[in-house]
Formats: sequence, C-alpha cells, structure tokens
Amino acid sequence: MEGRGLRKTYGDRVVLDDVSLTVHAGDVVCLIGSSGSGKSTLLRCLDLLEDVDDGVIEMEGREITDPRVDPRDVRRDIGMVFQAYNLFPHLSVLANCTLAPRKVHGMSARDAERRATDLLHRFGLGDHVHKHPDRLSGGQQQRVALVRALCTEPKLLLLDEITAALDPELVGEVLDIVRGLAGTGTTMVIATHEMGFAREVASRVCFLDGGRIVEHGPPAQVLVEPREERTREFLRRVLPG
Amino acid sequence: MTSWTPSKRELERRRVRQDMQRQRVLVASIATVVVLGGLTTAVLVSPGWPRVRESFLDADHARAVLPAIVDGFWVNVKMFLIAEPIILVLGLALALVRQARSPWLVPLRGLAVVYTDVVRGVPTLLLVFLFVFGIPGLELQGLTNDPFTWATVALVVSYSAYVAEVFRAGIESVHPSQLASADALALTRAQTMRHVVVPQATRRVVPPLLNDFVSLQKDTALVASVSIFDALFTARDYANYNFDYTPYVVVACFFVAMTVPLARLCDWLARRVARRERAGAL
Repeated sequence: MEGRGLRKTYGDRVVLDDVSLTVHAGDVVCLIGSSGSGKSTLLRCLDLLEDVDDGVIEMEGREITDPRVDPRDVRRDIGMVFQAYNLFPHLSVLANCTLAPRKVHGMSARDAERRATDLLHRFGLGDHVHKHPDRLSGGQQQRVALVRALCTEPKLLLLDEITAALDPELVGEVLDIVRGLAGTGTTMVIATHEMGFAREVASRVCFLDGGRIVEHGPPAQVLVEPREERTREFLRRVLPG
Repeated sequence: MTSWTPSKRELERRRVRQDMQRQRVLVASIATVVVLGGLTTAVLVSPGWPRVRESFLDADHARAVLPAIVDGFWVNVKMFLIAEPIILVLGLALALVRQARSPWLVPLRGLAVVYTDVVRGVPTLLLVFLFVFGIPGLELQGLTNDPFTWATVALVVSYSAYVAEVFRAGIESVHPSQLASADALALTRAQTMRHVVVPQATRRVVPPLLNDFVSLQKDTALVASVSIFDALFTARDYANYNFDYTPYVVVACFFVAMTVPLARLCDWLARRVARRERAGAL
C-alpha cells in the first residue's frame, strides 16, 4: 500500500498535509506523535473511512481513492481495530467475530465459527466465546476486537491507538498479541503512544506533527537518535527520565 | 495555513464524483417518474374511476361544504390544542411516578401501572363513549354534561397513557453511568431526575412524542361518533344528505394539511438529535 501527497482538512483545519507513506508486505509501520497530529486520521483515510481531499492511495498497484472504486471492496482486505473497541454490544463475542466472514466473505457459519473459536482460544479468550462484550474487561474486549479484525484474514491490519483506553496492566496482554502478529509477518500500520513497543516491533517509525510526517526511518534511528528537533522534543516529553 | 492548490488528479476525481452524482440524480428522477406515473395510470384506467371521480371529487360539492367543514375543523383544532399540553404534563408525571423510589409514592406507583395498562388496553373510541355518555349518567352535582369536554378528557386519558410509556422508555434509556455520577455528586433522587435524567430523556423522545401527537390530531375525529359537530361529523352529515362523498376527501385534506408540517418537524428534530449525539464520536 502506498499513499502519496495525502491531504485532509476539516473546515479550515488541515489535519493531513502532503503525507506520503509506503507500506510493503510484512512491514510494521508505527505512527507516533502527539494527540491531534493526524495519526488516526491517516489510518481512517487508508481504510477509506474518510475521503482524502487530495493525494492518491494505491493498494497493490490499484488506486483506491478513485471515486469509482467501491470502498467495501477495499475494506474486505483490510482489518481495523479502534481505540474504543467498537464491538457490537448486542452480539456475543463469537457472533461479533463471525459476522463479517459470513455476511461479507460468504463463509459458511460452521467454518467461520471454527476459525473464530480457534483464534479466540489462541488469544486466551476461550472461556468467553458465548459472552456478550460488555461483560468482559477492556483488555479482553480489545483482544476480541483484534480477533474480529483477523477473522477475515486481512492483508493489512490498521490499529488505531488500541491500548490508549486500557489500564496499564491490561496493555501488556493486548500488545503481546500484536507482537505475535508482527512475528508472523502480518502487515500492520499502528498508531501508538507506546514507544517501547514501537521500538520493539516496528520495521519503520513515522513521527507525525501538525499533519506532516516530520521524520521516518527504522526505530533505532527515529526513536534513539532523531535528526529533527521536533522529534527530540516529543520524545523528551513522552519518555520519562 | 499553507497555500494549496488541488492536484490534477484531485480535480479529475472531483469531476468523476460530479458525474456520478449527476447519474444518481438522473436515476432517482427516472425512478420517481416511473413509480408515480404507474400509480396514477393504474387509478385513472381503473373501470370505476369515472364514478369515483363523480362521487368523491365533485368540485361543486366541495365548495358548498367548505365553510361548514372549516367550522367543524375548528372543533378538532381546539380539542387537540387543549389536550396536547395536558397530555404532556400528565404523561411525564405518570412516568416519573412509575420511576419514583420513595416509599410514600408506592400506592401511586401501583395506580400508575394499572392506569397505563388498562387505559392502553381500551380502544380510544370506547373511552370516548364511556366518558361522554357514562359520566353525565352518574348525575353528579357540579359536573358539566358538555360532550366536548368529556370527549377531550377521554383523549387526554387515552393519550397520556401512551405518552407516559414514551417518557418511561426515554428515562430508562439514560445510561446508568449518568445516575452513578449524579449519585456521586450527592444529588437527591428528585434532583437527579430533574436536572440530569429528564432533560436527556426528553430530548431523546421528542420524535416519538410528536408521532403520538400526529396520531392525536387525527383521533380528534373520533368525537364524530358521539355527534359532536367536528369536521368529520359535518362531512358525514352533508354526505348523507346529498349522496356525495366529496366532503370526506375535503376533511382528509384538512387533516393532512395539519399533520404534514408536524411530521416534517418530527423528521427535522430526529435528524438534529442524531447529529448532536453522533458529533465527536468516531
């Protein structure tokens, strides 16, 4: 996936300003930056949840920002997890995970349930398959949301600050899963505030500020020896000591 | 703000979007013409159409009956203008009594439950009969025998039960976390209701409330059955006397003219609430 010259405004406010980003298969790209720097908007644009005001996004060589492209076609291959989980409260955990595979991907109920159950067990949610999301802890809910996104076997996974709403002690259990996914070569774009985590899993880190990618490169460079003053300033603020 | 000019690709995209929009408008227009045209033709070519036109859509009869219907319709309008505010207050009071937790109010609570259950179960037309004929029949001192009054009371009784349930649904839809934070601020139960729950509930139930009021406006025509000279009874009188049904169509037009603005208001309010509740939530 590749985005070039992306621009997005809400009224007078420029949220993304000439942002370019390339994600190769197997890449784990971490977007860092303070709140309002455009990380979430960038992810939402990549999933076509927002129309860009300018620029081009290509996926596997096809321009997906073309108005004639059906966004649902694109989203079939992309999984997204939100900060607030966004699980469907009226459906059980299992039904949350099998909805899209059955209705969008035409999978049989039995196959969808088998895969979902399998993934839920693997992520330590085996006891909660038939519960409703609101009965679970935040960490468990977010793991369910990850499973829901994975059940459609997306080629690309977009994670939007998925640990920001969690207690510190629950962050670990969610990040462990993402770490595992990164290990198995899942392509991901991750907006995150967890610098240690970014450093560990990212193949590339992008620092956004004021809607622009100020600096990008391997984590060892951006997070340890940033070239830009603004990056240094940001890291000083978020990294204790 | 940096100066920015849209790229060539963006301009091209806008053109494509415009074309697609134009196409959608075209499809919508064609679909509308086909559907409306089809319906109109079906009516016009039906075998009985000439006779129906004669007995339901006679311009002379319409003109002749119009003043009488205007007078009658004023009775309907008066009735719901009086009934609506009373129903609102009574409905909210019933809903609040049902939600009350004070031990003193327990008997009232039981009454409120029975009231809504019984009243909602009885057809409105029956309530009109019972009030208009039954209460004067009691021969109580100091009570009026005026059918208009008692028909209005019947509508108030019937609709306040519905409206109470609408309010109750709204009150119960307020999230428990709101109650928790009100409790945490040490508000009393009554203060919580007054300042936190009811304002939120009311905003949420405005569309269904207006829905009930549209329904009430039409149900004022039920009083025709107890010989009150409202619009419908006037029309029936004229129709029976002249063997022509045009007055019914005229009355229907009056009711539509009155309810359509209210229905549009419902839609507009519902949209506004939806926009406000979604604002900021991604």
